[in-house]
Amino acid sequence: MAISAIKLENVSFSYPANEGEEHKAVDGVSLEVEEGTFVALVGHNGSGKSTLAKLLNGLLLPTSGRVLVYGVDTADDKKIYDVRSSVGMVFQNPDNQMIATNVEDDIAFGPENLGVPREEIIRRVDWALEKVGMSEFRNATPFKMSGGQKQRLAIAGVLAIRPRVMVLDESTAMLDPKGRDEVMRVVKQLNKEEKMTVVHITHYMDEALDADRLVVMNDGRIVLDGKPEDVFAEHELLTKIKLGVPCVTQLAVTLNKAGMEIDPRITDEEALVEGLCRLL
Amino acid sequence: MQIVVKDLNYTYSARTPFERHALKGVNLTIEEGDFLGIIGHTGSGKSTFIMHLNGLYKLQSGEIDVFDIKLVPDKKKKSDLRRLRGTVGMVFQYPEYQLFEDTVAKDVAFGPKNMGLDKDEVDRRVKRAIELVGLDYDEIKDRAPFELSGGQKRRVAIAGIIAMQPKVLILDEPTAGLDPYGKEQILSLITHLKKECSPTVIVISHDVDEITRFANRIVVFNDGKIMFDLPMNELFRHADELHSVGLEIPRAVRIAKMLKDRGIELEGDIVSLDDLLRAIVAAYNKKHIDKTVEENINFNAFDFGVPGACGREEGER
Repeated sequence: MAISAIKLENVSFSYPANEGEEHKAVDGVSLEVEEGTFVALVGHNGSGKSTLAKLLNGLLLPTSGRVLVYGVDTADDKKIYDVRSSVGMVFQNPDNQMIATNVEDDIAFGPENLGVPREEIIRRVDWALEKVGMSEFRNATPFKMSGGQKQRLAIAGVLAIRPRVMVLDESTAMLDPKGRDEVMRVVKQLNKEEKMTVVHITHYMDEALDADRLVVMNDGRIVLDGKPEDVFAEHELLTKIKLGVPCVTQLAVTLNKAGMEIDPRITDEEALVEGLCRLL
Repeated sequence: MQIVVKDLNYTYSARTPFERHALKGVNLTIEEGDFLGIIGHTGSGKSTFIMHLNGLYKLQSGEIDVFDIKLVPDKKKKSDLRRLRGTVGMVFQYPEYQLFEDTVAKDVAFGPKNMGLDKDEVDRRVKRAIELVGLDYDEIKDRAPFELSGGQKRRVAIAGIIAMQPKVLILDEPTAGLDPYGKEQILSLITHLKKECSPTVIVISHDVDEITRFANRIVVFNDGKIMFDLPMNELFRHADELHSVGLEIPRAVRIAKMLKDRGIELEGDIVSLDDLLRAIVAAYNKKHIDKTVEENINFNAFDFGVPGACGREEGER
């Protein structure tokens, strides 16, 4: 049986409200993520997806329900460090995650704080830099790097803690297309080669295409959960909750609606061209 | 009226080890009424270029004439920067980070107030600007900008620029970081603003597909120079060259090319997704004379129902 990396049991979370009226940012979510899966979590701004991310490593604690990371309750004070070293987080703005003036020190920060011995830290820094393809930047300064490079560096910093789960909270939102590609390539590779469990939070539908599983949130709840192509088949619901579908799917849906015999579930350009070739 | 840029050069950190020649002899004429898209990868000089258009960077060499306001590199002669900044409105990346007042109305009023307008005129402009960006003036004017949603904040920031009634509106990556719906809203807002307020619009974007949605002319920056300056419908002819400098090809161009490789040649210039859809339908109808489909279809990720959907509030369904 597959190991459960993350398990949410009927989890709700409310931010403290001003005038007594409570708004549930996360509302009764149950979700289990098996070790080694690549999960994409999508939702529009304010759908609760980032709140959910922060619940995954105890940055926020549920108002009700439980979050279990490899069986450990994130609300368990004594074990919070276990949780945090199991689940690494990469955030949106790369500039907010750099703390040192050179790359090496920045990556060493995590393991240093965990009291890892020096030789092991050096090994981990080497390994982490190699994994994100930035070994030659070892002594460089992060501040003059491109967004994509900085974000890969942030990933290396998280890797050095050797987490089993990596949560990317809109980590590609501020990057240009090239930077986005770089980061996604690294993350997919980690998922494949290191069997890292990945929870990728995004609102780019195109980035959700390659995930093993796609979870869609709206108003603090999970509204769709399944294989990306099955989820995208629900294009009407996805449009209604202001997410839309990947560009190619939207093209297929539009042509299908106009009356052409094109499968509206198409997600890649090859398949669309294939389908068109048969008709034109 | 025109914006004329002649032989513009700019060097960062001149005479230091960090010296970088960011603009290398740029010549460009922008006509009133242009809807200009600027693309180029990070470091290509596109941002340095637009910063010159409202005097944020001092001219090092070359000439700039913005609607008869002349900028000069000469230190002794002063350029009329105040008038320039009233003429060219600049919306930076993530403009919501620049909101600072405690109410929306005050924030939007900052620009026109600094232009020295009297109070009645400032109030009139603030109200109009807030309405132009699709927000409810009475509902939002006294709220703190910081309690608004991301998309609303961005619109308030844009309203602050619009309130100065610039003839030229420049937006740097206006949809960065927004979710798909927020993106669509800002795109339709820009089209709306061009019609209602600032007839000349310049947009910088990383996303070629986005630019093909509205621009009529496209300028490609590469290595501090202008590589292409084309009407939109000619862009597709240069797909290989764009690719060679690391720029993405519009998706519609790519798909049309894939079809061509399989022996299906679509008619007409295809740059935007709308072009592609219509060309596909036309080809289909030609072949299936007995069973034709609707010709006039649009690529529309969200059916807003009304044109210029920016009038709708966030949270509405």
